[in-house]
Amino acid sequence: MIVFLVRRIAAGLVLVLVIATTTFALMSLTGSDPVRQIVGQTATQQQVTAKSAELGLDQSFVVRYGHWLADVLHGNLGSSWFSGESVTSSLENRLPVTLSIVLAALLVSAVLSTVLGVAAAVRRGALDQVVQLLAVLGFAVPSFLVALVFAVVIGVDLGWLPATGYVPLADSASGWLKSITLPALSLSVGAIAATAQQVRGSMVDVLRADYVRTLRSRGISERSLLFRHALRNAAPAALTVLALQFIGLVGGAVVVEKVFGLNGIGSQATTAGSQGDTPVVMGVVVVMVALVVVVNILMDLAYGWLNPKVRVG
Amino acid sequence: MRRIALTAVSAVLMLSAAACGSGSGTGSGKAATGGTLTLAPLVAAQPWDLADAGLGNNAQYYQPVYDSLLRLSPTADVKPNLATKWSYNAARTVLTMTLRSGVKFTDGTALDAAAVKTNLLHTEKGTSEAAGQLKGITGVDVVNATTVAIKLSAPDPSLVPNLGNVAGMMASPKAIDAGTIKTTPVGSGPYTLDKSATTDGSTYTFVRNQGYWNKAAFPFDKIVLKPLTDPTAVLNALRSGQVNGALLASAKNIAPAKSSGLTVTKYTSGDVEGVYIWDREGKIVKALGDVRVRQALNYAFDRSTIVKTAKQGLGKATTQIFNPAGSAFDESLNSTYSYDPAKAKQLLAEAGYPHGFSVTVPDVSSVFPDQQAAMVQQLEDIGIKVKVDKIPVTQFISALLAGKYPLSYMTLASFRPWDTIQIEVAKSALWNPLHSSDPKVTDLVTKAQSATGAAQDALFKQLNTYLVDQAWNAPWDSVEATYATTKGVTFTPQAFAAVPPIYNFKPAG
Repeated sequence: MIVFLVRRIAAGLVLVLVIATTTFALMSLTGSDPVRQIVGQTATQQQVTAKSAELGLDQSFVVRYGHWLADVLHGNLGSSWFSGESVTSSLENRLPVTLSIVLAALLVSAVLSTVLGVAAAVRRGALDQVVQLLAVLGFAVPSFLVALVFAVVIGVDLGWLPATGYVPLADSASGWLKSITLPALSLSVGAIAATAQQVRGSMVDVLRADYVRTLRSRGISERSLLFRHALRNAAPAALTVLALQFIGLVGGAVVVEKVFGLNGIGSQATTAGSQGDTPVVMGVVVVMVALVVVVNILMDLAYGWLNPKVRVG
Repeated sequence: MRRIALTAVSAVLMLSAAACGSGSGTGSGKAATGGTLTLAPLVAAQPWDLADAGLGNNAQYYQPVYDSLLRLSPTADVKPNLATKWSYNAARTVLTMTLRSGVKFTDGTALDAAAVKTNLLHTEKGTSEAAGQLKGITGVDVVNATTVAIKLSAPDPSLVPNLGNVAGMMASPKAIDAGTIKTTPVGSGPYTLDKSATTDGSTYTFVRNQGYWNKAAFPFDKIVLKPLTDPTAVLNALRSGQVNGALLASAKNIAPAKSSGLTVTKYTSGDVEGVYIWDREGKIVKALGDVRVRQALNYAFDRSTIVKTAKQGLGKATTQIFNPAGSAFDESLNSTYSYDPAKAKQLLAEAGYPHGFSVTVPDVSSVFPDQQAAMVQQLEDIGIKVKVDKIPVTQFISALLAGKYPLSYMTLASFRPWDTIQIEVAKSALWNPLHSSDPKVTDLVTKAQSATGAAQDALFKQLNTYLVDQAWNAPWDSVEATYATTKGVTFTPQAFAAVPPIYNFKPAG
């Protein structure tokens, strides 16, 4: 198990390095001109040259990448070229925002999709059809539209929950919960739809399997059959979908954060990306890839826990 | 069950990790009370160091903490502030200013002539827009503790009003020397940044500087700035009362803002948009060197329809690159080129281009789709073939400044007449990328630089008239901005400013 873990972590580190290098190269090769954007439309050529030199943009790609990598290895992710804010502190400010809404959305979708998927697979009939219809609808409606409707109807018109802004958990637990509820719900709609379908499909397959029939014939209780045996065997597929959903939700968070005016890592990534703010983009990429690697390792561990055969393999 | 439990446990663990990471606090987004003014700037904050400061939308971040040498009235008349008196020498190359005595920065340092010298020279060395406005300064002399003499390489008719904006703002010389100014502002302004209620990037809270000399000019006890870049988030924040004022960046949000009871104020933002003809001497496209061709371009555009459709009404049709609030502007010039495609074709034929010609323009469809469509269609209507060059939007400005294109759609900020001349008319101007020149233009510019008062205004008008007549550009409209405020707050728009300064806001009633 430890060898497996070490191997996965090493592979994860290589992946982070490869993606970081590729991103740095892409940021350098796109030919965008962040300096002009930083100094403004009316800055003179001398000001542009001075700013380029200050940011090290007059040096070669290899030298710049070397500096960046050396700094990162010393725990320094640099500062935003636009706001001057340190990338580390900006990630500390923004990562909790994104993680709050993504994890809350994941939790909501894990619970609701399991309930809906299992119910549809066991009951079948009309309930199954309703669940499937809802799943298709949920999948088809883009999260930004859901976010817009939630923000306007529940946030503005009804005034039940804040329409914009984020309250850190450390400041106020209830404020935090209120500020993330609408964004997390908007984000979870698509995830619930996708995962519920997966849970339903896997459960239907498992319930048809020979061993289930054998267990039933032995007179095992329906509850035990369902939760101890069937759900456990159907779980890996659902877990895969959930792991993928995590990555998808981080992507979806970009739009939801914008609609709710949340200063999360998603909105930061889009702004920094469009501006060509290399230090911020690199910081976000490294942290997000690392996060995805960690989630995947956790999912692998969960598979192992659910299915000993994986551990042997 | 174990699967669900696992998911739940890992989620809870990660949530608590997320919570631990949130060290600093943001505001809770409550609606402002009478004592708090909450605004949502459209742009993110820049570094606090004034050497890196931009203008326009960025100014609202600096106004609470940094006081300026002069103050501009809503009509941009220059009023005393930190400087109580000022005067030029006969050659207009030395500006002597008398400073208010007894003013201190919030770290206790005195705001004296030495502090002013440090600030002006520090900002001038910078690389941003405020620095650009001080580039004519060759030195600053400390005459005595309350008198400074600012020396210029040549007369700068815009220097005094610019000292009433970001370029004239003062930060503690101690913080500048220590280098801490980039992350923590220390000024002598009406407010100080409350770091405990500030989260970089999302909430900036300013509380009263109890020692400020002119408290009465700032009625709010607290200023909160919450940058919001998304127009929908801005509208929702205004409608739910989470912010008191914000620019409505999208015209489609005006109607919902009005119907929600918000006050929507329309004012000239200072930008002039339309077709800028960079190649007035025909270096890239020979035809553009002929004034009749450039005039034809001006007759080709149906300005009022463009404003109505492509701009959803947010603009005032114009043929001039000068700001309507400035002395160079002449309303009567706006009737110089009516929409007349037949006349345009006739002028092209007279110039020897009966079948038009071809131009290549940079693609701005990702940012200004309607404007690009209008430009291409109306140029093609008079027989000019337009080839759209697909370039990444991030390269757009560099490509224009490198003189790659003969003409393009563009929006340029137009401040005072002298600024506009410096930015886009003078031969060496940045936004005269192909360095067009004309003896009459040069002559008028030279005369205006040294003139003063009514004589200078008359020269600015003459220059403007000549530029319109020579069709140096084919502008469409002076861009209008819309700013929405909630019930408890009112403001006065500021001439030459994209957003109202914080001292123009008052509690309503």
